[in-house]
Amino acid sequence: MFVLLNQLRRVRRDIAASPPVTRSSLALRHVDAGSCNGCEHELTAAANPFYDLSQYGLSLVASPRHADVLLVTGAITTRMHPALLAAHGAMPEPRLVAALGNCALGRNLLGQPDQLAGVLEQILPVDLRIPGCPPTPAAIAAALIGVLEQRSRGG
Amino acid sequence: MSARRARPLIVTPVAATSWRTACVAARGNGERFEGLFATAGDAETVELRALFSSPAETRLIVCEDRDRSVETLVDAIPAAAWDEREAHDLHGVRFVGHEPMRPLLDHNTPLAAWTVPTVGHDTHEVAVGPVHAGVIESGHFRFHVVGERVLHLDVRLFYKRRGLEAAAAGHPLETSVAYAQRSCAACAVTNSVAYAQACEQALGLAPDRELSRSRTLLLELERVYNHLHDISAICAGVGFAAGTMAYATMKERAQRLNERVAGHRFLFHTVRVAASDQTLDAEAVARARGELRELRAEHARAWRQLQFTASLQARLDGVGILTRDDASRLGAVGPVARAAGILRDLRSESPHLWYPLFEPVTAPGAAGDVASRTVQRALELDQSFMVLDQLLAAPLAPGRTQATFGEAEFGVGRVESPRGATVCVIERNGSRLRAMHLRTGSYANWPALAHATAGNLLPEFPLINKSFELCYACADR
Repeated sequence: MFVLLNQLRRVRRDIAASPPVTRSSLALRHVDAGSCNGCEHELTAAANPFYDLSQYGLSLVASPRHADVLLVTGAITTRMHPALLAAHGAMPEPRLVAALGNCALGRNLLGQPDQLAGVLEQILPVDLRIPGCPPTPAAIAAALIGVLEQRSRGG
Repeated sequence: MSARRARPLIVTPVAATSWRTACVAARGNGERFEGLFATAGDAETVELRALFSSPAETRLIVCEDRDRSVETLVDAIPAAAWDEREAHDLHGVRFVGHEPMRPLLDHNTPLAAWTVPTVGHDTHEVAVGPVHAGVIESGHFRFHVVGERVLHLDVRLFYKRRGLEAAAAGHPLETSVAYAQRSCAACAVTNSVAYAQACEQALGLAPDRELSRSRTLLLELERVYNHLHDISAICAGVGFAAGTMAYATMKERAQRLNERVAGHRFLFHTVRVAASDQTLDAEAVARARGELRELRAEHARAWRQLQFTASLQARLDGVGILTRDDASRLGAVGPVARAAGILRDLRSESPHLWYPLFEPVTAPGAAGDVASRTVQRALELDQSFMVLDQLLAAPLAPGRTQATFGEAEFGVGRVESPRGATVCVIERNGSRLRAMHLRTGSYANWPALAHATAGNLLPEFPLINKSFELCYACADR
């Protein structure tokens, strides 16, 4: 265990991620509305020691009731449409919706039209757009830290 | 070595009345069931296909079914249960004798229609999903529980169904590889290579040495980052954060290597039908080889630490057991089946890939529990590092194909994904795709996961689930 912890300490020292500039925080909830699982892998990776979202006050929470931001991935399938609306409806206000990845942004969608509910923009008000197929963990981290910085400036 | 020679595809047309006899006979000959599906024929008919394989050949049993009704296979071939339920829901095929026919893809049915009834003192249901507490794909689990013990688990997937196979139909064979790739990020290379192999078989083409090497390199890079991810996830399943983060760090390194070697962290856009443009010069292969050796050493150090972490090890033994018999009966594949003692890996029967000396391995003891599945991943990581080391001993040039058996209407691709045997069947209409069917290792293993969960405590499920680490996306398609 100590070897593992030392290994991780070395990684942290080598990477030297830029320190947080704000003292605020955002609680994030993720809904997979029909992704290929790429965005989920990269969102999980954003919590690894290379990107370390938690040091910026960004945490993934288990329930939409605890969340400030809804991260939506995937082409919105007709089968996930109701669950997506339910998760959004369960969030306290003010709340933000982020389209995570090209599918959620309606770019280069693949699938049968009758299986897809439509682009996220037409379903929920989108506040944050994070493009990429999938977006890299660095891009996800930068976009979310950007929201924190904007807020600390009163934006 | 006969298994490594190119395998002909035998297409056996049968009448609907002989469907069951032909399929059961193939199974009786020792051929392995690898999938069953339906495609829409002209007007009123539906076309059924069942895929079987032996070490020497691949057999596709095809049937034009005007009545949309055949006898079921599930009593003789339990592994066909999900396939029949899918064909029923999508195409209205009746499988006589498959009782009750529980909906699988059809979500517009009452709860009682798709769950197994449980009765008795204090039985209750715990419903989870489709949205989960973590960053997990969408799917619904319905646990039937007494106290904390799981009596039975009904899995309802297909929330992420995008209709990729149907959407791919009608497009040129070359461009439809995008649909196979999009079905799943974590199996993108496997699914694309299976699709490309299927197209090449139908076009009467076989890859040359460089094309085989290029695809094998991509497949093993895919396996390395997936297996590192899976060990990280198993550590997360018991709340062992140091192990989770150590392996997440290694996975990150592997994905950065993917980007340097092939231009994408998930190796997207690297697989083409009948060609590869990927090149690596002497310096590039040497650098990649060096990084992989470092990664292998880091994994070896971390793995040793996991062996001495009592709080982790104490949680793995005897949990989520899938016996060898059940694995075989339910058609389990990949590390899950090998951890239960089934010594089968498509890499040892892949004539169109570059695995010259590959032999499958099973975890010592092969108890079919979480511990065995964890050890299995580590053994396979070592194998993959070895294959990659051999592959990267020489530069990589662009790959092409050469003519082989002759052209055909059908083609089959078979590839071992990080989660097990994945098959792709295509039907073509000249240079265009008429239909494709992708049956992934995850699809094959979902029923086995549900079976292995029964009898365990409910709080063990996240750990059991992570030791299988199945994709939802490439089951749902």
